[in-house]
Amino acid sequence: MNAAMKITALLVLKAAPETTDPVILANASDVSHFGYFQRSSVKEFVVFVGRTVASRTPPSQRQSVQHEEYKVHAYNRNGLCAVGFMDDHYPVRSAFSLLNQVIDEYQKSFGETWRSAKEDSAQPWPYLADALTKFQDPAEADKLLKIQRELDETKIIIHKTIDSVLARGEKLDSLVEKSSDLSMASQMFYKQAKKTNSCCTIL
Amino acid sequence: MQARHGQSSYRDRTDEFFGIVESRRRSIAPAAENNVPYGGGGRRREDPRSAAANQSEFSKRASLIGLAIHQTSQKLSKLAQLAKRSSVFDDPTREIQELTVVIKQEISGLNGALLDLQAVRNSHNDESNISRDTTTHSATVVDDLKNRLMDTTKEFKDVLTLRTENMKIQEDRMKFFSKISSKESANPFVRQRPLASKPSPSQPAPLPWANGSSSSSSQIVPSRQGEAESSPLLQQSQQQQQHMVPLQDTYMQSRAEALHNVESTIHELGNIFTQLATMVSQQGEIAIRIDQNMEDTLANVEGAQTQLARYLNSISSNRWLMIKIFFVLIAFLMVFLFFVA
Repeated sequence: MNAAMKITALLVLKAAPETTDPVILANASDVSHFGYFQRSSVKEFVVFVGRTVASRTPPSQRQSVQHEEYKVHAYNRNGLCAVGFMDDHYPVRSAFSLLNQVIDEYQKSFGETWRSAKEDSAQPWPYLADALTKFQDPAEADKLLKIQRELDETKIIIHKTIDSVLARGEKLDSLVEKSSDLSMASQMFYKQAKKTNSCCTIL
Repeated sequence: MQARHGQSSYRDRTDEFFGIVESRRRSIAPAAENNVPYGGGGRRREDPRSAAANQSEFSKRASLIGLAIHQTSQKLSKLAQLAKRSSVFDDPTREIQELTVVIKQEISGLNGALLDLQAVRNSHNDESNISRDTTTHSATVVDDLKNRLMDTTKEFKDVLTLRTENMKIQEDRMKFFSKISSKESANPFVRQRPLASKPSPSQPAPLPWANGSSSSSSQIVPSRQGEAESSPLLQQSQQQQQHMVPLQDTYMQSRAEALHNVESTIHELGNIFTQLATMVSQQGEIAIRIDQNMEDTLANVEGAQTQLARYLNSISSNRWLMIKIFFVLIAFLMVFLFFVA
């Protein structure tokens, strides 16, 4: 399941009402795994699909659309829409929590200025690029996933611990047996010695 | 009309009673009408008629109840058949629910009627001139009806449990199917159903713009069209499936599920830790025992060593004594030699 989950692009758009086209506010894409000549077309494709999906997402709704080999997840919150292009393996929940975080961060850093944006902003937003690289691993974005993963590791470790404790128990059992045998033997030895000591008058 | 269904442990003498009633009625026609309301009191003059009228009243009601029970059990068997049908697409949920409600009402109604009947019988028993046969008869009748009602209720419960199990199986199958198809391309549909109020218009909507788009690369457009054509088919089948699936995977539900998983995992871990602690404490006891054993062994061996040392001493000192005895013996020999020589 962990085979190559990746995010291809993250977009933040201002989703105007259905008639007008959404305005791109921030864009970060990772096109390194495409050939050099495809990169620009892929970028345009990302922009286009992002705009479309954002325009079709009603406010306060989440949506996921499958397109070719990507899943496009969109989360629209009061006009501010975050769109992410992920592959099929990326868990959907993590995708949406990531989009949540992105929107929160955007609102924190840019306040309400985006509402007045009329055309695509060309300046890159470093947070988005960082987020793209950081969240390639879905566990980073989704705390629940992280917790679950750590819990599973802990469970494995605990199972190993229990196995070793059981082995220790077995060894202790054998030790106890041997020590009790030893104690018996030494007791017999003592009695024997005392017996030979008591009848000393003969020779 | 008075026919009883199923085996009964009593003799059906309602016809005889009806005959008596008719004869009585013919003789004292006007007065008999006063006794139709049940539980006609202790009027001695009308006792025989009231007894007969009450008895026929009782038998009428008992027969009505028996008929109703029979009808209810028929409906129940129909419900059982419907519940057993576990086909994926043909789920008669509404009919089943209607039937369930109807049967429940009937059963509760029958319960009430049976209680009334029992009250009637008790009030009959207060009257003095009722024969023993009648009392046993009515008691048997009431018991029989109660038993039958109990059986019907039990069957009803079984059918309901069967129904819930089947529904669970169907849910799992739905999830299984929707998971399979979601691996291909169906997450949008599954997700959009609860979120968007009108999924169907939103899905064909991409088609016109996909067909009419003229943007960037031409590679995108044909692939879009291809996907759009295949999507309505998938969409219909999945919508059908989604009609069946009562629970659907929304974002919130998946989060709730994940939380539940985490909680149960933590719970299990707690259990495991407790067991671990128990095992370790038990092993601690074992270790203490081992320690004691070793100490005992040490003490024993030391005591034995002391004994042997003493023994050694005594043996070596014995040699001393031996030498002394030898000397004495040699002295004796010398004396003997002196005497002889």
